[in-house]
Amino acid sequence: MSNDTANLGELWRVRNAAAVTLGLTEDHMRQAVRAASVEQLVGLIETFSPACSTGTEWTRTFEPLVERLWAWRDDATMAALAEVFRARGMPWMAVTNALSAEHGARTRAELRQPAWARLPAFTLG
Amino acid sequence: MVLMQAAATVDRLRDEIQGVRYREATTTFCRLVTEENRPLKAMIKEAIAAAAPYVQVPSHMMHLPTGEMRGVNYDHTILGWRGAISLMGELGGSRGILPNIQAMWYVPQGLNVWEQVICEFPGHYARDGEQCNRKFPGPDEHVDRFDGPAWNPPKIYFEDHDPIEGGSVEDRLARMTWAIAEGDKAEAYGLFLGLAKDPGNRQRLKDAILFSGIIDLQDTIINRGGYQNIGHKALRARALVDIADYLGWDDSHELIYTVVPDLACSPHLHGLWSEISNICRMELPGHASIPKRSDQPFTERELDILTEALLWGGPYDVNGAIMGLFKRGAGILDVGDAVIVCFQRYLIDVLEHPNAFLHPTHALDYMNVVQSWTRNHDNPHQVKAVFMGARFMNDTVRSNAMFPRDPNSALEPRRHHRAWADGIAVDRLLPLLKQHLLAQDAPRSCALVDSYLERTSERHDLLDTITYAACHWQNDPHVMRNGASSLEEFRHNRTSRHDDIIRGYAKHQARYIKRAPTHDCYRVYADYFQPANA
Repeated sequence: MSNDTANLGELWRVRNAAAVTLGLTEDHMRQAVRAASVEQLVGLIETFSPACSTGTEWTRTFEPLVERLWAWRDDATMAALAEVFRARGMPWMAVTNALSAEHGARTRAELRQPAWARLPAFTLG
Repeated sequence: MVLMQAAATVDRLRDEIQGVRYREATTTFCRLVTEENRPLKAMIKEAIAAAAPYVQVPSHMMHLPTGEMRGVNYDHTILGWRGAISLMGELGGSRGILPNIQAMWYVPQGLNVWEQVICEFPGHYARDGEQCNRKFPGPDEHVDRFDGPAWNPPKIYFEDHDPIEGGSVEDRLARMTWAIAEGDKAEAYGLFLGLAKDPGNRQRLKDAILFSGIIDLQDTIINRGGYQNIGHKALRARALVDIADYLGWDDSHELIYTVVPDLACSPHLHGLWSEISNICRMELPGHASIPKRSDQPFTERELDILTEALLWGGPYDVNGAIMGLFKRGAGILDVGDAVIVCFQRYLIDVLEHPNAFLHPTHALDYMNVVQSWTRNHDNPHQVKAVFMGARFMNDTVRSNAMFPRDPNSALEPRRHHRAWADGIAVDRLLPLLKQHLLAQDAPRSCALVDSYLERTSERHDLLDTITYAACHWQNDPHVMRNGASSLEEFRHNRTSRHDDIIRGYAKHQARYIKRAPTHDCYRVYADYFQPANA
């Protein structure tokens, strides 16, 4: 085995370790999201307001969160969330649109889970 | 068809401008040029003169009764003229007159901004941004009275002044720079007028006014509301320099009246300038002697690293990336070129919502002022201005990223239409591009541009097509200004990725929010100037 091949193998081991860590984190997140009340989810989504966000790195993870909400929660919960933000008007329009049934249908249709993968192909963000 | 009307006169043009009768003013302007054979340049001067007393505001921050403050927009009338004059040469012939007619169309809508934002005067801000007619409707619900005409004469917030003369040129330039930074409008304006009288002073005066404009820039627009200038001090300074060179400095009194007092208008934002000055003093002690160009082109990897910092990094990542390029021996204009092409990836790949283009393209126009200043003047502070421009760009990216992305404004990827574009004969691409730009179909427009760029080395006609289509849209001087910036930077850019400027320009003009859905101004222009290939 050449040095280059050994290096590639080492990098792949590191990558796999990161994937395992991420997979476990996603699983904990899934359990937490499934257990959360609508009020708790509203509280989480509110942290994506420009006035509350800790910065661009946080806000940029909004879409990955929305993917997971559509993957892990039922339509009734999502409709309740959408209603909360729709009532807040224009400033929350982007969030309301992300929680709309049409966007949910698109998101769910695009999430694929090949046979070899433990998780759907979520956006990492 | 042109209807019979009373004689077109300059007095009439002035009355129509000040009365916010923009359709009539535009028609009179066209008639003065076509029927009365008045030189276009002279009519531009008259239009600027008619607006000049009415474009100043007491401050760009308005104190509200609640104790809070709101921003007051910067005058855009002069920015339209600067863009139009620049594009006139690019488009050529009667087509080159179109951006000037668009500038004229906007002028009456851009007066008395202070009154517009409080719904006491008609115009673009009152009608569109403030939606004043909803708050204060007139007797006819079908008429937006904030579209004009005016019911009051516009207010004058800063009277014309006499030149200030006497003392050495060196001393007067220093006093003027100080007066601008400290907010003494009368002193700044009077000194500028006095210095501008002598042709021997003008090159130094241009350098000084550009410097004063460039260093006044917010450190961030994130959650700042109106406490920012989004580069308008620099943009105004550039407009003054370019238009004075076009009109002739001896014919530029009203132009100077339009621009210089506002450069001294509050707020004054020198925090970013102080930061960049500090880091250059600490890390680039020889920055004043860095050459404008080096003979070491950037590697693709270097451009990728800079792109990553500008689009996805924070302010210190940007500082580090720019610092690294200067430390490895790059020239000022080289780094400026790199900043401009790397930023295009944001326009090309990331931006989707039509409203989200506004601040990033202001940053691009600011960077164009920096590059133009560096190309045409020698000033020991020019290295710092490149940092300023890059930081402004990065800040607008991060400001947009503070808002969750709206899936309803998602754009179809341009690559979906690439096979379609590649199937069209090259000589059919540009007419089709014009159609798709006018239809505001960004994915297809961008696919056509991608295909054209890869199948031919021709660029002039491509830029002409994008620019001419863009100039069909009315009520927005940003269109002309950004066109002028993009074309100028494309011509000067020496990086391997300079075609990305065209890609970004096309995306911008195919997607940026339009202030009116109709082309009434274009039709007035076409009636009078009958352009070929209309």
